[in-house]
Amino acid sequence: MAQRLPRLSRHARGVVDSVERVGGQAEFYATTVTSIWFAINRYKSETIRLIAAMSLGTGALIMVGGTTAIVGFLTLSTGALVAVQGYNQFSDVGVEALIGFASAFFNVRLIAPLTAGIAMAATIGAGATAQIGAMRINEEIDALEVMGIRSVAYLASTRVAAGVVVVVPVYCVAVMASFFAARFGTTFFYGQSTGVYDHYFYTFLSTTDLLSSFVLALVMAVVIMLVHTFYGYNASGGPAGVGEAVGRAVRTSMISASVVVLFVSLAIYGQTGHFNLAG
Amino acid sequence: MALDTFICMFQRPFAWREYLLQTWFVARVSLVPTLMLSIPFTVLTVFTFNVLLVEFGAADFSGTGASLGTVNQTGPIVTVLVVAGAGATAMCADLGARTIREELDALRVMGINPIQTLVVPRVLAATTVALLLSSLVILVGLFGGFFFSVYFQHVTPGAFVAGMTLITGVGDVVIALIKATLFGLTAGLIACYMGTSVGGGPAGVGNAVNETVVFSFIALFVINVIITAVGFQVTL
Repeated sequence: MAQRLPRLSRHARGVVDSVERVGGQAEFYATTVTSIWFAINRYKSETIRLIAAMSLGTGALIMVGGTTAIVGFLTLSTGALVAVQGYNQFSDVGVEALIGFASAFFNVRLIAPLTAGIAMAATIGAGATAQIGAMRINEEIDALEVMGIRSVAYLASTRVAAGVVVVVPVYCVAVMASFFAARFGTTFFYGQSTGVYDHYFYTFLSTTDLLSSFVLALVMAVVIMLVHTFYGYNASGGPAGVGEAVGRAVRTSMISASVVVLFVSLAIYGQTGHFNLAG
Repeated sequence: MALDTFICMFQRPFAWREYLLQTWFVARVSLVPTLMLSIPFTVLTVFTFNVLLVEFGAADFSGTGASLGTVNQTGPIVTVLVVAGAGATAMCADLGARTIREELDALRVMGINPIQTLVVPRVLAATTVALLLSSLVILVGLFGGFFFSVYFQHVTPGAFVAGMTLITGVGDVVIALIKATLFGLTAGLIACYMGTSVGGGPAGVGNAVNETVVFSFIALFVINVIITAVGFQVTL
């Protein structure tokens, strides 16, 4: 068969391979998610160690203050962006008083979740891929299997669990930083009175919005950690392979995270958007 | 290192072949992520914006919002993410692997300056691709926003198109392109620096790629804020 129809059979094999890859990925994710509970119970100290390492960063990242500081810094700059962009646009139409509203609305719904997700993919996620990938290349994962440790539970599930725990304080920092930067930029650089800003800000800041953006951040953390652990776990091809795996993981997780954000936020806010300007 | 790169940029001979290869490589790596990222980003922006506009009773202006958001912010930011996340990581992994295999030292022994033959073409390739990508992002983003507004939120297509050029003008587009060029340059420099200063085996390469992503994100977001502020002073 293979000799008679070389091109056709190669094509068919390609299709079968890609289907198999999707299946393998799905199987890995299923194993990871189902063994989270097992991992938390059995590998408690490993999970706690990972939580500490993720929130404060590892290696050279410690010098710049770890994940929390990086996420805070990125959201600071996007918050400042709200101030710059929003103030200029709003003052075009003479409603620059409403900039507080823009901060409460866009930061919570759009900017903070997306930025925090991207920053997490870049710091925690890429770090996890690099670690697990290096372990795979050094055949440490095979050694784990030989020692009778469930490698998926020990490496991937613990990281997913740790990611979910870490994202809560990190996201708090992110939201606070974006609010602070928007307020600081508007009141300090553009000279709007703080009273006006605070009035509109608190009028339009809604608790449900904040809570649902937390849900967004949690979902993103799970997706990002799953993608990154998968690519690290399946790294191959020496030192270059680890680097490539990190790059591919960052690409995939950013895409999947933003698609997830889109659908989850459409599901949460719905078509009408649950929004009343009148209060 | 950055200074060296700039000096070598204007020195002969310029590594044309490597430049073209790298441009093609970066473009190939980042094309699909660009399309996949820019659509959800714009749709999300347009969705949030339209909710607001419908509440005002000004849904006809959703085109204005879409073009404003896409050209000024989403376009450059998606370009940043793709250039840093896809292009820079791939470049850093490639260079890092070469450093680990001591290929760069071999080049130096042969009397070839690795900065001139490897780094300069890569940095320029990242710059070129970032510039080209940002226009693609803006285009795809506007299409995405259009379809979403017209078919899901029932905005009149004519009003959408008419509103697009209401606030956003040539100046904004030029600024967006300048931003993208600077992003590409910075991300390329960071990736090449991290790639050439790798040490410590496979884990070292992984960490270098990780640091590349983090540092270039930080640098690019800061650049974005500054240029946005400067751009408003210039165009207004």
